[in-house]
Amino acid sequence: MDLFHDSPLFSGVRQMLGGFATKMIRPIAIKHDQEESMPWELMKLAAGMGLTQTSIVDGRKQMTGVDDNATDLKKPKSMARLAVVGSEELAYGCAGVCLAIGGSGLAASPVARMGTEEQKAEFRKLLHGSDEKGHIKVAAMALSEPGTGSDISGLKTIARQDGDHWVIRGSKQWITNGQSAAVYVVWAQTDEAAGRAGVRGFIVGRETPGLIPGKKETKLGIRASETAQVHFEECRVHKDMMLGVGGATTGLADTKKMLDSTRPVVGAQAVGIARAAYDFLLERVRGSSLFGTPMASHQHIMFELADMQMEITSSRMLAHKAAWMADHHLDNVAESSMAKAHGARTAQWVTTRAMVLLGEEALEPGHPVEKWYRDAKIYDIFEGTGQIQRRIISKHLTGQNPT
Amino acid sequence: MDFKLDDEQQMIVQTVRKFAERDLRTWGADADRAGAAPDRLIPTASELGFFVDAVPAANDGMLEGPYSHTTRALRGFELGRGCAALAALLETNVEPALAAEKWGSPAAKQALFGSLASGGLATLVHDSRGNLEISAEGDHLRVTGKLGPAPALGVATHVLVVARDAVFLLPTEGLERAAITPSGWRAARWGTAQLETTQVLASNVLARGDQARAIGNEILAWARVSLAARAAGVATSAMELAKVYADERVQFGQKIGQFESLIRLRDDAETAAHGAKLYALHAAWAIDTHQPNAFDLASRARVVAGDAVTRATIDAVQIYGGYGFVNDYPVEKLMRDARAFEALHGDERLGRVLAQKGQE
Repeated sequence: MDLFHDSPLFSGVRQMLGGFATKMIRPIAIKHDQEESMPWELMKLAAGMGLTQTSIVDGRKQMTGVDDNATDLKKPKSMARLAVVGSEELAYGCAGVCLAIGGSGLAASPVARMGTEEQKAEFRKLLHGSDEKGHIKVAAMALSEPGTGSDISGLKTIARQDGDHWVIRGSKQWITNGQSAAVYVVWAQTDEAAGRAGVRGFIVGRETPGLIPGKKETKLGIRASETAQVHFEECRVHKDMMLGVGGATTGLADTKKMLDSTRPVVGAQAVGIARAAYDFLLERVRGSSLFGTPMASHQHIMFELADMQMEITSSRMLAHKAAWMADHHLDNVAESSMAKAHGARTAQWVTTRAMVLLGEEALEPGHPVEKWYRDAKIYDIFEGTGQIQRRIISKHLTGQNPT
Repeated sequence: MDFKLDDEQQMIVQTVRKFAERDLRTWGADADRAGAAPDRLIPTASELGFFVDAVPAANDGMLEGPYSHTTRALRGFELGRGCAALAALLETNVEPALAAEKWGSPAAKQALFGSLASGGLATLVHDSRGNLEISAEGDHLRVTGKLGPAPALGVATHVLVVARDAVFLLPTEGLERAAITPSGWRAARWGTAQLETTQVLASNVLARGDQARAIGNEILAWARVSLAARAAGVATSAMELAKVYADERVQFGQKIGQFESLIRLRDDAETAAHGAKLYALHAAWAIDTHQPNAFDLASRARVVAGDAVTRATIDAVQIYGGYGFVNDYPVEKLMRDARAFEALHGDERLGRVLAQKGQE
């Protein structure tokens, strides 16, 4: 088991992205948090480095956490573990910036998994080049709705067929890149009688009439990543842009399966936030005194740092284990939920306690630990809340959904 | 033993509750976005007796007889249910006024009460880590170091500084001061001040040495009870909002408030919030009735309340889910507001540990 053995591949990624996080992300993180703006310049740079996760539709190996050739069961992959290692580093820089860089990947993944060559080409075409502001083009995965957050089975967005087109109507909520995207992967109910099996994804270009980017949300944290509503009013999409037609994998079930690979990545991002706060506190403790005694001489403080170290290490190992299982084509449903839920808990706890131990200092505007406290909370909410993760783990134990 | 409020307390609670629910909650959201209190706050709250409630009647204030920390805690709880930032402004004058009255020189009283009676604000700063350098220069003091961040320090005319070896009032005129807007209690007119061998006149020094420790502990006990009561109010408010939402929101075919895990989240947070309120009231009663363990109870009340408000606000956001994370809904503000309750005047548990080791 290579979980404990730092292969050159993993340590190389860790070093490269760790440096990127410290030198490139950290210096701009507070500004984008305060301004609630996307780090377009850095996103461009990251795109050049292959970090934006959109080129997976090209079939090239990228850091996605999703194997686009999951059917080859003979060979273990390293994609999930690479994504876990890399995500921790990027989120160590800033989770909001990390999500801004990776945001398009949410939409690219189902296209890579389910798309035909024509659909991938269309997706690539829509993402090609830059917009009138010189910004790189980004993609948005539009699944959640005002009424369907945790429970994605009752989508109200409807697609009905009209000749060669599907006509989409409905509203989407909490959509990453919702306002700025050049291309959207929209999930809509095509056959209400079929329930979940009737839900399909569609590739929709921004300029498509009836696609209306909505209000941008002001958020508690991850403010460098854009979240917005998106509305579809009689939006006509050619039938060739419906994902999963004739393929082995089709609709929402496949999206849920994809989450088994991405949850450890999300857990690893939470680990990155926790480690950032822990490192900051440790650095402060090393250099400060309390009424003339070194802060590091106090058990009150040091034991809490020791606890933080334990939790961070535990969370990281859960993420690595779940990713290792994904790479080895093992059923990791429960493990990926554990990694995600544990990471979220660690990030919230470490950032909260770090603020308390730092005292009044952490109330200064633009204090990084205060920002990480706000950033950490989303990790217990998006990509399945902490309650959803526990529901998945519980079901794994008994086969039942407890209520 | 009687938990029943007297007539005056009942009247105050009812009045402040109405003010908090009708005005503070409504104003609070906009004040948070703007980073400033509405102009109406000062006149409206002044009419209700805020700002000069701890200033003696003889000095144009409202205080006749002993100050009631119990009543203040009851009021603070209601204010916390309204808005933590605005509550901080409404409570900010109490410690400086009470301390000046009790230990201040005639000159210090005259200056502070004069300012407060004409609409000025004052604030308390605790040097919880011993960062201030204080030296004596005859009867005067020379102080170097940073004050704050503290609410109201951005606009206050006077600061009451509690340091380990000295307690003093400092007029802010001429100080190098910065107004800041942190992400919690955004409307509370926060500030920092940098002191560079700043002179504190003898008439503004309330105490030094051992006496400073004793009165510092007393002043901090007042502040801790007030913070604890307000924190309990914020925690209660978070859970009131969470309950309304959980009773409306349907996922997986049922109201999310009916899922046992969310019942537990709410129930535990409510238990903690109510416990914090009772602890604050008990400590306040102990101060009012001069119980020997009053200051210790005040410190413990703040520990309990800090835990309660942290838990309740984080869990309220959790219960609201994706809506909890966005500013259109009221709970993300509460999670930002929660932090100051544990950070102001330093980490309470650390203070307790140091005190019990005799290192405070």
